[in-house]
Amino acid sequence: MNRTIISIAIAVSLSACSSLGVEPWEKDQLARADMALDSEKLDLALDDHIYFSKEGSSGGRSLAGGGCGCN
Amino acid sequence: MQLKNRSNISKALAIASCSLLGHSAQASANTEKPDDWKVDAAIMYYGEEDRVQAVEAIGNVQKAFGDESLLDMKLVVDSLTGASASGAVAQSETQTFTRPSGNGQYETASGETPLDDTFQDTRVQASANWAETLSPVWKTNVGVNGSKEFDYFSLGLNGGVERSFNKDNTTLALSGAYTFDSIDPVGGRPVAFSSMALRADYDTEEEYRTAFDMTRMAGSEDKKTMDMMLSVTQVLSRRWLFQANYGLSSVSGYMTDPYKILSQVNDTGTTQSYLYENRPDSRLKHSFYMMTKGALDAGVIDFSYRYTTDDWDLNSHTLETHYRYYFSGRFYGQVHLRYYQQQAANFYRPFLMAGEPLPEYASADYRIGDMTTYTLGLKFGQRLSGGHEMSYRLEYYQQNPENSGFDLVGQLQDHDLFPEVKAIIAQVSYSF
Amino acid sequence: MSIQEKTASSGFELTRRDWGYLGHFRAMASPCELLMATEDEHLAREMMNVATCEAMRIEQKFSRFIEGNPLWKINHAAGTPSLIDNETASLLQFARQCHQLSDGRFDISAGPLMKLWRFDGSKIPDLADIERARALVNFSKVIFDEHQVQFPDGMSLDFGGIAKEYGVDRVAYLLAEKWSAISVLVNFGGDIACPVSKGAGNAPWQVGIENPQRLDSAAALLEIRQGALATSGDTRRFIEKNGQRFGHIIDPRTGYPVVKAPRSVTVLAPNSVTAGMLATMAMLEGEQAEIFLSEQEVEFKCFR
Repeated sequence: MNRTIISIAIAVSLSACSSLGVEPWEKDQLARADMALDSEKLDLALDDHIYFSKEGSSGGRSLAGGGCGCN
Repeated sequence: MQLKNRSNISKALAIASCSLLGHSAQASANTEKPDDWKVDAAIMYYGEEDRVQAVEAIGNVQKAFGDESLLDMKLVVDSLTGASASGAVAQSETQTFTRPSGNGQYETASGETPLDDTFQDTRVQASANWAETLSPVWKTNVGVNGSKEFDYFSLGLNGGVERSFNKDNTTLALSGAYTFDSIDPVGGRPVAFSSMALRADYDTEEEYRTAFDMTRMAGSEDKKTMDMMLSVTQVLSRRWLFQANYGLSSVSGYMTDPYKILSQVNDTGTTQSYLYENRPDSRLKHSFYMMTKGALDAGVIDFSYRYTTDDWDLNSHTLETHYRYYFSGRFYGQVHLRYYQQQAANFYRPFLMAGEPLPEYASADYRIGDMTTYTLGLKFGQRLSGGHEMSYRLEYYQQNPENSGFDLVGQLQDHDLFPEVKAIIAQVSYSF
Repeated sequence: MSIQEKTASSGFELTRRDWGYLGHFRAMASPCELLMATEDEHLAREMMNVATCEAMRIEQKFSRFIEGNPLWKINHAAGTPSLIDNETASLLQFARQCHQLSDGRFDISAGPLMKLWRFDGSKIPDLADIERARALVNFSKVIFDEHQVQFPDGMSLDFGGIAKEYGVDRVAYLLAEKWSAISVLVNFGGDIACPVSKGAGNAPWQVGIENPQRLDSAAALLEIRQGALATSGDTRRFIEKNGQRFGHIIDPRTGYPVVKAPRSVTVLAPNSVTAGMLATMAMLEGEQAEIFLSEQEVEFKCFR
């Protein structure tokens, strides 16, 4: 049930995508270095590693990854 | 009213203009690229109260080749020491356990959670990724990664493709990865559900050794992982963007933790023997992730939610937020909050009952049981001249395992079988 | 987010000429043109996209007339520091250097003074108003570094004196970087740049300079293969009182327009920003404009 709701939400947001957005010259705020999705990549990588080792699930933001004998 | 140094003015202006135009050539680019190199380094300490301690150092280097290509390389070294829960339950009596190698043993005092402190390991991981812009709307990337620790080896390949639409306001990305892991546990892989051989049970060293060897299998075990992710990134407004990801992961191979055991107890809750755990050899995981990030006048804020579910019946919810505030153009503070809740895997049980038939799979590893975790973190960053940045963060991470509905028999009721694990994370980073 | 600029939805017109393509659009309150020496229409369109995008981006960011944009925020900070990016910091640095080189006469904080002199045919402002506005004009009170800018409440910054030339150079730079073999002449309302040479074998670009006496017909024809050209002048904006004509370049030190400034000054320089600043400084010299420009050893033309 949860899965169905979430996949519908994604589909709806995809179809609404064509009306959302800004002109290329209005991207000044989004172009800020601290607005990049990987702007604190080391922190995110370290956090991912901690939670991958200490919890039962992983992934989401990026590929689940592995390469560690923790989980 | 004369202008001074008259003939030098046009030359001075020409030089000033070069500095203006040369510098601002990077004005609208996302990343600063003096010399095209960007380096990030960090060192982190993770310490649990009375348990595991780890130090991890990461170095990441990015080099841009023109406007279209980017090489990203990362090196990680981490070192782990300390004790972690073996999965056995606390008892009113002292307990003795055999170390994974079979050489030597360790004791747990009465009332204490059994912790195996055998682990001292160092791991090195390296990865390289190449990103290429093929056209104004297509981007692609490919990467390779590998890691090695004493008993573990991993090699992986990943690749992805991105297509942007709608004046670059919408981006669709598809990526995949294949990872091959090989584990060669210390002392050899234990036979599933075999009983831990204890020296005290045998008269001679030889007899003990023979018994121990019977619980071990030589050779290494493999694990193969196939990952896929579909991602949509959407610009909502001048200040807000949104991302939604769906991930699918299929793992097959050896997923049992060779160092974890379960206590087999009788009606009074007294341990009769210790059995090595056994997990399924396949796992299919789904993850749904959504996040939004906003550019504020004097800061940045983000919210994310993740739901995961798999065929081990381990479901989890994660809520996370970061809020950054710039005290000045050079100094910022950032708050990090994370809430995580998971439901036990279907083969998780805190202990086994003697006399009952053994299940197909079982593990008492609290990390796949019912659990709630909380993280509270504070980070401060300083922007230095020349585009350098230094930051430091301190986080508190608490894991609260919970009983997912098991009756605690006999003396087990007198002990805390689901103790909290408290950890501190401290990190310093530098980038230039 | 992608590294490159994307298709702009703002309109532009493209017409074929025998030497290539002429693109036309409107930005920064000026008619803007791109003369592209290429046979490829698709390429010309791509160039126009880059140009319109960059021009609009700069206008959105630095225009005095857009409420809530980065410049507006800086000007409404009421004395508190404002966060700025690298580009704004570089422009402030350039403005500071120009302020020093012109002995304080080029001052981007002269906004309050500029507002008083409206040049729409109305009267000359009162002395009291001029004195009040002058008190708010002082670039040395603007403190800035790579990350933030701060100045006293009541002051305001106006990039009007450099934004257009900066836009020309930025567009010229972006086009030259991407298409280094194609000669393009960028012309934003008379501020011109052509970084990629038209080539010795081809006819040079021909640019007409207005005669202030007879507007809209070229008085002099400048031939340019490579370089930049800027014109500063009062030909269209002035106040006439008692037979005396006040040009639109205000000297912040007096609060009044420069006396005996030429009607128009046109300067040739390696880039538009330099050409524009030299032309402005020449105007500020008033009577000495021609002498100043000869000393600078640049090609120029003055109309009086």
